[in-house]
Amino acid sequence: MTMKKILATCAVIVGVFAAQAVLAEGNSEAGKQKSQTCAACHGANGISTSDQFPILAGQYRDYIIQALHEYQKGDRTNPIMAGMAKPLSEQDIQDLAAYFSSLPGPLHTLPREGGNK
Amino acid sequence: MRSRSFAIVLACVAAAVSLAANAAGDAAKGKVESATCLGCHGIEDYVNVYPTYRVPKLAGQHAAYIIQALKEYKSGGRDHRTMHAQASSLTEQQMEDIAAYFQSLGDQDNGKH
Repeated sequence: MTMKKILATCAVIVGVFAAQAVLAEGNSEAGKQKSQTCAACHGANGISTSDQFPILAGQYRDYIIQALHEYQKGDRTNPIMAGMAKPLSEQDIQDLAAYFSSLPGPLHTLPREGGNK
Repeated sequence: MRSRSFAIVLACVAAAVSLAANAAGDAAKGKVESATCLGCHGIEDYVNVYPTYRVPKLAGQHAAYIIQALKEYKSGGRDHRTMHAQASSLTEQQMEDIAAYFQSLGDQDNGKH
């Protein structure tokens, strides 16, 4: 192979991986569009009004991704969420997680003052 | 005698009120009982060993949802070894107390996300 062909091949390979990275990252705007169904239970801004359904606003992005995967795989048995998660593509999951994790909300890490003080 | 029956009624009311408070979930007790949760959930950005993802933020979450999640970890409805072990050690009352405590933390705006 000539140098030119090698470089061209490399460029294609790098391009493919770069595109993967963008896909994997998740787009918050796209997530917002896709979250219409979710709002019914989880609230318009990811803050659910019914306390049966968790607040998603501000939750960790990778945790949301993990949870949606678990609903899809059946590692979490929940008839409502199984139905919700089933039609989601990997890109949908990434986008939704990017969106919900970006929203302001009351969730935060537990303060380390628990126990007997 | 009147005063005696009044005392009995009063005792029954007091018992009923304290039972009701217990059933609802005692956040003060929950604060003590949740000390064991802090090892993972009290550290910002703490990552699960494998698969690698951050353990969820719990402060400010809805109590009813926390209770449901703990029950699912205990029953196996959610497949997660560590959380199964944690939840299995809790009575329903403790779950309610802990959940009440976590929910109560949402009222405090400490600006963390």
